[in-house]
Amino acid sequence: MINRRGLSIFLSSAILVSGFLLWVLASAPRAKAIPAFSRKYQTSCTTCHSNFPELNDFGLAFKKAGFKFPKDDDTFVKDLPVLLGAKAQKEAFPGALYPGELPGNLPIAFRYSGFFNYNSKIPLANGFVPRTDLFVPNTFTIIAAGSFGPNISFWVDDDISAGGANGAAFMGDGYLKGNDIGRWLHLPKDALNVRFGQFELDLPFTQARTINLTGYDIFNQASVSLVNPALCAVAADPANTQCTTNNPFFFGVPQRGIEFGGYPNDGNFTWSLAIVNGNNSNTATRNSKDIYGRISQTFNLERDSSVRKEVQAAGPTGPRDHTSIRIGAFGYYGRNALNIGGSLFPTLPTIREPFYRFGGDFRFKYRKFELWGVGMYGHDTNVIPNTTDILTATGFVPTTPVTFAGGFIEGEYWFYPWLIGLVRYDGVNSPTDFANGASRYDTRNRFSPGVQVLVRANIKLAFEYQRRFEQPVAGSTQFFRANGFVLGTDFLF
Amino acid sequence: MSNVQRAAIAGAIYLAALFLAGMAWAGDIKGKVAVQGIRSAENIAVYVDAIPGKKFDAPAAHITIDQRKMTFVPRVEVVLAGTTVDFLNSDPVGHNVYWPSVSGNKKLAHNLGTWPKGEKKGFQFNDQGVASLLCNVHPEMSGYVVVVATPYFAVTDKEGNFDIKNVPPGQYTLKTWSEDGKPVSQSVNVTGESVTVDLTVKK
Repeated sequence: MINRRGLSIFLSSAILVSGFLLWVLASAPRAKAIPAFSRKYQTSCTTCHSNFPELNDFGLAFKKAGFKFPKDDDTFVKDLPVLLGAKAQKEAFPGALYPGELPGNLPIAFRYSGFFNYNSKIPLANGFVPRTDLFVPNTFTIIAAGSFGPNISFWVDDDISAGGANGAAFMGDGYLKGNDIGRWLHLPKDALNVRFGQFELDLPFTQARTINLTGYDIFNQASVSLVNPALCAVAADPANTQCTTNNPFFFGVPQRGIEFGGYPNDGNFTWSLAIVNGNNSNTATRNSKDIYGRISQTFNLERDSSVRKEVQAAGPTGPRDHTSIRIGAFGYYGRNALNIGGSLFPTLPTIREPFYRFGGDFRFKYRKFELWGVGMYGHDTNVIPNTTDILTATGFVPTTPVTFAGGFIEGEYWFYPWLIGLVRYDGVNSPTDFANGASRYDTRNRFSPGVQVLVRANIKLAFEYQRRFEQPVAGSTQFFRANGFVLGTDFLF
Repeated sequence: MSNVQRAAIAGAIYLAALFLAGMAWAGDIKGKVAVQGIRSAENIAVYVDAIPGKKFDAPAAHITIDQRKMTFVPRVEVVLAGTTVDFLNSDPVGHNVYWPSVSGNKKLAHNLGTWPKGEKKGFQFNDQGVASLLCNVHPEMSGYVVVVATPYFAVTDKEGNFDIKNVPPGQYTLKTWSEDGKPVSQSVNVTGESVTVDLTVKK
């Protein structure tokens, strides 16, 4: 329940925001959406995005085709590529380089995102948090993507603002992808692709290119053991013993590795299997590699069977996404390593703690409405030294594992092509986080309604209110909610 | 005038009449090529396929393909089997001309070598098929010599129009070849007048 003070803040803020939106809508200069692909095909962002950066059916098909139009791409390209060798050079291979191509113009786009934050009052005992924070985060990202011919595509995005002026930049995704390489094995079309580099795992719903102003809580869930040694089971000597789980892996962060995947059957079935470092976008910290796999099946629910074969369904006001439901499952397995070189327990060997994540997901699309969600479970083995005296310990024994479960469900509705309403629920149940004092109950939940306005096809204003779970006030028996709202501006050019 | 002379003159008139009549009977095959999934309808070869029992002598005149501004000009040339094509280099840089196969037959691959501006080298194309012209100095250069069995052929313009002239009356098979499209085959009946044929080439 929103209290009266919170409600009055919400309403007064909503009025201010509405006024601002009207002003922007009335005064914003006419802009043309021209990121890399818009330039290449001389088409609007809305061809692929009904609410950028979320991809519509056509955008998904475009991505799956290696950033090419799914049919007759050559006839749609307005910006002719530079041929790196005549097509007939294929006949001369291997006596000559296999022909390729470069995009005709530099395939670069820029994206700016700046978020205005309003925070509810946070007890000072928990650390100072300003009531308002203007444009945090404040990011400027370079996106380069395209194709090097019919079967090779690439993507690189880099937030060049991450470290401020002259600061170190952070790469998001940066990969090369071989599309439909299964044709050499006479496999069905698009049954086998490969990509390598740094990439977001084939998550059910992207976090890197989400429409939301805040990430999904379950994808940001960390596995860290109890920080209070006294709570570690088996540990008879709390002063010298500690739980060990401290997994750097995050689901929603790009990983480095290689991924095989495919989407045969007109893209209705998808599969992927990735081998990654498991250390996010950092260098490997252990020898073992992790495995992530995902499958999904889309059921097209269009009544007209002939329409199901089309990239998009036809509606009275233009193409629209198919009415469909997609269900999927995913799993991740790895072995985290700690105490390498005796960094935690000098006399003991390296700790290897297997961990896994698995879950299921769905997405339902019906005309102007979409509903999607994920359920996920995480489990990290947690060990401690096998004796109370670390100096005499010869190894480790398992103790209470670090586990969590949760997910999210989100709905999206287009009131107009430019006005989209969102509502989302996030829930994460983590006994370990609760024991560490992160929340009043085992489950941390968040309710986030929002509105997004496409001022132009490439300019968006997004509003999100967050009603969060209760947290304990430090040094007290009271609790508070870190509610707030965010107004995001987002544009690409 | 002797009887022999009279007979010779009459015979010549008869033959001339026959020739003129033959000229009058020859027709044109005109038409337009539409494309699906291909960027342009230009440079598509349209030709009458081999006529059973009929063999045509190769022309004595040479055909010239120029190398200008690092492109083969024309990009697509159709020739009757046995025709000699001269490859001219008009660029101030050296060019090489080779083809790795003729319609996939690598035994017919040939490399003419490299030569400077103003010079040309000839090659007689005796084997039917398509030779993909390449330059190993400038790998983006591309051209095609389409070697066919009859002298009845044309190459489409930017709009896809073609015009094959002076085709004797008869039933023929009209074929196409294009860089990006699948070949098309269609039967055509030439009766002495212009015949219009519309074709569609798909990727």
